Amino acid sequence: MKFIADLHVHSKYSRATAKNLDLENLYLWAQYKGIHIVATGDFTHPKWFKELEEKLEPAESGLFKLKDKWAQPIDAQIPKSCRGQVRFMLTAEISSIKKREDKVHKVHNLIFSPSLKAAGKIQTKLGEIGNISSDGRPILGLDPYDLLKITLQADAKNLFVPAHIWTPWFSVLGSMGGFDSMADAFGDLTKHIFAVETGLSSDPPMNWRLKQLDDFILISNSDAHSPAKLGREANIFDTDFSYDGIYKALSDKNDKGLVSTLEFFPEEGKYHFDGHRACQVRWHPKETIKHKGLCSVCGKPVTVGVMSRVEILADRDEGNKSKRWRPFQNIVPLPELIAEAKEVGANSKAVQETYMNVLSKLGNEFYILLECPIDDIKRVAGDVLAEGINRMRQGKIEIAAGYDGEFGTIKIFNSGEREHIEKQMSLF
Amino acid sequence: MKSKCRYFNSMQRPTDLNESQWQAVRHMGTHLLISAGPGTGKTHTLTHRIAHIIPSLKSNEKVLAITFTNKAACQMKDRLTALGVDPAGLFVGTFHSFCLKLLRDYFQQTALPKDFKIALPQDIQGFDKGTLERIAHMKSSQLAIAPDDEYKAYQRYLRQNSWIDFDDILREALLLLENEDIAAFLRRQYRYIFVDEYQDSNIVQNALLKILACDGVLLTAIGDANQSIYGFRGSKVELFRRFQEDFLPAQILNLQESYRSSPNLLAASGQVMGGLELLAKLDTKGKLVMHTAASDRAEADYVAQQIEKLIGGFDMNTSRRAQHSLGDIAVLYRLNAQGHVLSKALEYLGIPYQIARKPQRASVYSDEDLLGQNEEQLEYNVEKVSLMSLHAAKGLEFPVVFIVGCEENLLPLDLMGMKGDPQEERRLFYVGMTRAREHLYLTLARRRQLFGRTLMQNPCAFLADIAEELKAYEAAKHSTPKKDPDAAQMKLF
Repeated sequence: MKFIADLHVHSKYSRATAKNLDLENLYLWAQYKGIHIVATGDFTHPKWFKELEEKLEPAESGLFKLKDKWAQPIDAQIPKSCRGQVRFMLTAEISSIKKREDKVHKVHNLIFSPSLKAAGKIQTKLGEIGNISSDGRPILGLDPYDLLKITLQADAKNLFVPAHIWTPWFSVLGSMGGFDSMADAFGDLTKHIFAVETGLSSDPPMNWRLKQLDDFILISNSDAHSPAKLGREANIFDTDFSYDGIYKALSDKNDKGLVSTLEFFPEEGKYHFDGHRACQVRWHPKETIKHKGLCSVCGKPVTVGVMSRVEILADRDEGNKSKRWRPFQNIVPLPELIAEAKEVGANSKAVQETYMNVLSKLGNEFYILLECPIDDIKRVAGDVLAEGINRMRQGKIEIAAGYDGEFGTIKIFNSGEREHIEKQMSLF
Repeated sequence: MKSKCRYFNSMQRPTDLNESQWQAVRHMGTHLLISAGPGTGKTHTLTHRIAHIIPSLKSNEKVLAITFTNKAACQMKDRLTALGVDPAGLFVGTFHSFCLKLLRDYFQQTALPKDFKIALPQDIQGFDKGTLERIAHMKSSQLAIAPDDEYKAYQRYLRQNSWIDFDDILREALLLLENEDIAAFLRRQYRYIFVDEYQDSNIVQNALLKILACDGVLLTAIGDANQSIYGFRGSKVELFRRFQEDFLPAQILNLQESYRSSPNLLAASGQVMGGLELLAKLDTKGKLVMHTAASDRAEADYVAQQIEKLIGGFDMNTSRRAQHSLGDIAVLYRLNAQGHVLSKALEYLGIPYQIARKPQRASVYSDEDLLGQNEEQLEYNVEKVSLMSLHAAKGLEFPVVFIVGCEENLLPLDLMGMKGDPQEERRLFYVGMTRAREHLYLTLARRRQLFGRTLMQNPCAFLADIAEELKAYEAAKHSTPKKDPDAAQMKLF
């Protein structure tokens, strides 16, 4: 069956996450967004693990559902148009900080587990090694290689996925904290890794430029720190609706179970370009090279973003695909599109109202973004938003690229264009 | 026959030894005391000297190398192996492990009960802590003891259980060596004796050495009188100073080129030690940061925040270039009781840490432990920030060191009936400062909770000995970590 999965989120127990990031809100927002399998995140955290044990029950093999007791009060809040089945998959993310030969490596990795028992084993082992109670995404002075070993030893069906692999500070290939290759990081165990997460700032074509990534399938997830950020990126599967279905889609090179991915426009990501946020220096990689990597304001090295880093490690020209490539669709979160159409802030009340209104009339966010006929959107939400979604589907948007932790900003309409669209439509 | 040892017939100075180290390595014909300040290559010189001497031994002769801890013994063995030394010609271990070996080897000649065991501190019942400490101090600081009733009762108690305690291992060995046949045999066997950390040896150990290091047996002792910090356990820094009287004839050599700390840190620690000047061989730029916090909690928060900065942040909002890793950083304090508030602050930020204990006389559970054969093998090499007392930091070094609680009743210790010898406390502070390679943070709190009391604190007097131009004062920043904008939204989005 066809389904959408977001396999990297956090709980309220992770640092800098929303207080309402609990199972109920994940359940709620997965339905708003149109996600069928959502990650639990943070299963290493003892309190969160307890909550998982208490509130979830086994459903399809390796998947879990929210028990009725907690699901029913939420169901009442959800417009009928959005209601759908939501399943949870057990996931965690570990932050490794470890020195190897005088270089400090800081790498985030995801672990997926097929059962509470398998997740519990990892939790116990990591608890012996360090502090897993302070942060839902624990910081451990453990080498990523050793983390992979622990993951594989705990259960053969555990999956290990390097997270947002291009993020400068915290990733396996990142410019600041990373390695130059997967093999440098994981050595003889690299073959036990089947998938890598592209992160918000890179899209599949950028990743296809590295031969060393040919053996890995690319997946995309939201890394949500609040419920509303679910589904910023996601994966569309068409396979058995189970952990094993996903496991096979990722691990078996001939399996076609992963159909496509939904991607942020990479320019919108926080680290697409290079630069210094504090100095407001935003550079295309070419600009960085021109300045020899030094900030023109403060003189210190700029934060080298994803585009630069890909260019440095790439060994294949643009326009080529990797062996395990999948199609993808760039999306912009609906609230941002509404905000752009209305020329108001994305967090404004007007956006909230419109968002809930279109969802209740048309269906979940992914349906609206990907499938809903433009005419239907026009009818419910007006011509400007409909045109915005149309342009997004065609990739006709302008983005000032993100850099040094600052999100990129999208622009769909030029000044005066909105009025023009509205007038034009009113003629008919 | 070709020897693996690189020192065989070598008269050329190896490139990894400086002139004074080479002189110490080559010195022959007399006892030798090597006075070696922090970072001057103490262990390096000692191991090279052993490697240099071993090829000259006859096949039945050996070298006895005494270290301060079992861990140090393991490290020395590793270093010697790396230099191509055959371990068969060596005994490397602590005084205690060597003496226990003697007691086992010559059991028939001792007055010890059959199958004697080492008394574990937790096994000892019916004696209060003060009494046990007093008896331990007597045993380690006096050769001839006039036993009082408590002492006699305690010894009777041990004997009833077929126990000997830690200090008795040395004292019984000393008794054994009164047997001239055994002593003579050992002297023929161990032609060279090396003692590390000589500034922390005690009178009983000194007596053992006097018996063993004669009739042509040559003793090499190495250490630093400025780092003698175990007086409360019976160590006597005076023994270091009277080496030439105890062992005749003896030469003294000084190692003065320091390869550990950046020049400003070396200058600062020298000023605390009354104008001591070692030669800085590194030109690294280090920081000496001074910080005064309103309370011990604020001090701990400051330390935790600095550590996060040094490591380059833990999330997108605090990320910056990582200068250091977790294992590069140590936080040192005078009393273990100060560790609690630091643990809390590090835990709050999710910073991995470990609390290291000083080498315990009580950490012996079997002969194997004592001989260092049960070293814990960790499955994974995990990095953590180290929290420990100044005493426990002896012999270690870190790129970044925090000394917290630089306050007048903690350094020198003079608090609630606990009182340290002022000179020894100064040396302890010096030991702490000289653990740092690049950055040293000296912090203090104006208000401190200790043992259930709130204390109003003043800066430690040692700080005033450091020239102002070496210090960088850092104020407390009252900024809470910036919230992730994603997390801040309490509304729908």
